[in-house]
Amino acid sequence: MKTLRLFTSVVLAILRELADQNAYDRHLKIHACPNSPEEYRRFQSVHFKAKYQRAKCC
Amino acid sequence: MRHLISAGFGIIGAVVLAGIAINRGEPVNSMWLVVASVCIYIFAYRVYASWIAVTVMALDDNRATPAERLRNGHDYEPTNKWIVFGHHFAAIAGPGPLVGPTLAAQFGYLPGTLWIIIGAVLGGCVQDFVILFCSIRRDGKSLGQMAREEIGRVGGFTALVTVLLIMIILLAVVALVVVNALKGSPWGTFTIAATMPIAVFMGLYLRYFRPGKVLEISVIGFGLVIGSIFAGEWVAQSAVWAPWFTLSGVTLALCVIVYGFAASALPVWLLLAPRDYLSTFVKLGVVIMLGIGILFVQPQLQMPALTRFIDGTGPVFAGNVFPFCFITIACGAISGFHSLISSGTTPKMIARESHALPVGYGSMLLESFVAIMAIISACVLDPGVYFAVNSPAGVVGATAEAAVQTISAWGFPVTAAQMAALAKSVGEETLFYRTGGAPSLALGMAHIFSKSGGGERLLAFWYHFAIMFEALFILTIIDAGTRVGRFMLQDLMGHFYKPLGRTSWMPGVVGSSAAVVLAWGFFLYQGVIDPLGGINSLWPLFGIANQLLAIIALCLCTTVLVKMNGAKYIWIPLLPMAWLVTVTFTSALMKIFSAQPRIGFISAAEGLEKLAVQTDATRTLIFNNYLDAFLCGLFLVLVSTILIDSVRQWIGLLNGSRQPRSTETPFVQSTLTPEEI
Repeated sequence: MKTLRLFTSVVLAILRELADQNAYDRHLKIHACPNSPEEYRRFQSVHFKAKYQRAKCC
Repeated sequence: MRHLISAGFGIIGAVVLAGIAINRGEPVNSMWLVVASVCIYIFAYRVYASWIAVTVMALDDNRATPAERLRNGHDYEPTNKWIVFGHHFAAIAGPGPLVGPTLAAQFGYLPGTLWIIIGAVLGGCVQDFVILFCSIRRDGKSLGQMAREEIGRVGGFTALVTVLLIMIILLAVVALVVVNALKGSPWGTFTIAATMPIAVFMGLYLRYFRPGKVLEISVIGFGLVIGSIFAGEWVAQSAVWAPWFTLSGVTLALCVIVYGFAASALPVWLLLAPRDYLSTFVKLGVVIMLGIGILFVQPQLQMPALTRFIDGTGPVFAGNVFPFCFITIACGAISGFHSLISSGTTPKMIARESHALPVGYGSMLLESFVAIMAIISACVLDPGVYFAVNSPAGVVGATAEAAVQTISAWGFPVTAAQMAALAKSVGEETLFYRTGGAPSLALGMAHIFSKSGGGERLLAFWYHFAIMFEALFILTIIDAGTRVGRFMLQDLMGHFYKPLGRTSWMPGVVGSSAAVVLAWGFFLYQGVIDPLGGINSLWPLFGIANQLLAIIALCLCTTVLVKMNGAKYIWIPLLPMAWLVTVTFTSALMKIFSAQPRIGFISAAEGLEKLAVQTDATRTLIFNNYLDAFLCGLFLVLVSTILIDSVRQWIGLLNGSRQPRSTETPFVQSTLTPEEI
């Protein structure tokens, strides 16, 4: 049961990473501000600028 | 005990693989391929990769990684190794490991399977692992930056130009795969068209309604995409709507070109990013589903181990098994493009040096297994059906009767009635001449999924689900790739006229987006009007370019290992590199100079020039063939430049005339606690 719980938590963490939710949480923590549409827009403008300058694999 | 278990896996893998390779004349179950590959992967990981990690690269967990030293909460962030593994695998897994093995199945299942397993273990995984290690030791620098510092300025510039050219060919060839899968298919076209408003809805939802709730909206988006597959069936059967979504290859190509331009110029959050999230989750989900499906169904392989087409007369693409099998399957065995990912985001997330082993080597093993699943999916189809779907009209004949007659005469019996019934069962008008690999892969996957649950009545749903899955993430590559190509072009053009280098200057954005779209759009159009199906010329060109990039990456690996250990371990990257040099240079020279018009670009152009009647279409084909020959030659010149530069450097380092200058960052003690990762 413990292994299953650990496995589920890792899978969820991977999904959150792929969804940039971990990155957004870090952004909120660094800037010490609550979640809001304005803050998310600020996060998107910084994060996407870097993310979509890199090649995607074939 | 650990060594005994590893040896056991190695022996089982080798025996099963030898059994598959040697035994003939009896049906082979796909599980043999699964067991052989998994056992060899485990052996390679536990023995070869671990040895490289400990002895050759001396990974040191006491050494702080860039993620720790340069931690900024954005790109540099120490992350749990399994999260980095998932992130890295999602980044390297594209359509390549699915489409390449499907096309190479024309040689039979054996050549592709052997290349995927051996190529990955000795080549692809080593390249990804060593490049990741090099980047970790150099503050997470990119391949281009490292090539410039380690090999020289010429190497760095050549790598940049090569990547841009490869990107253009890659975008054209994957766009062609989508166009060939969707032409004349209102169901598929509607489903893919529907993903665009769905992505825009997701973008608006995230931006204005529920900021940051990406997983939540991805679940909603996935539900809507599944709904669009069901709606697609209704559209295909509607006398009013079906004609709107029944498009020719040329019209679809124009739609994809316009889409690529719009996606590159529109704000990322509106279309590209939500689509990227959706395609990443669908991709991972389908790969897992396919693995479970194969284990559950355990299908028999219908394709023989070797077909008559190893002699180079194959209808899917022309060329002998050597060297063409080895450039057709790139991403499943070794892909130069992976080196860009291994020196991109991943090294900035690695918390401990030892994590480079599962992330770099392990992710590529999993990618290789995806390629094995793709070859299984292609080979469970009846060979006659496989060739009927994948052969262009220019090779098998322009009517269904002519096509089945030609294919049956090759020894792969198939009838027009059988193809018509199959097309009807998947909700398509016809399945003939669907070159590019995607439709036959979708058929194989639908076959496996329907046997796992739902039976024959769900075949049409699964077929269009598989087409949607392939097209969804190929289109994501097109829009993201066009954007990246735009940035690279702006970077280059900024040297000549400063404002062009600014990514916020609108004329520069529009102009460079248009230039990149027109470049890959030109090759896409060329592929669509090609009577041999386009894949015959474009996929080898892409394969050659991709493998040449792998040569550049392996040159860098060799240079770094020579600087670290002298000649002692030089064979580790040199072995796959020597093979790739042989394979790519042979195939590139054949593609340029072969006297057979189906293989050689120049002989194809000369053959067309001799025709008595010269139409505009003929003149376009002649020009395209000369252009392809030029491009192939250019790739060879670019990579030869790096190769010669590197060999000079290795000789100098080994005979002492050149001093090894390390560009590694100095050792800093790690202070990360286990709780932090």
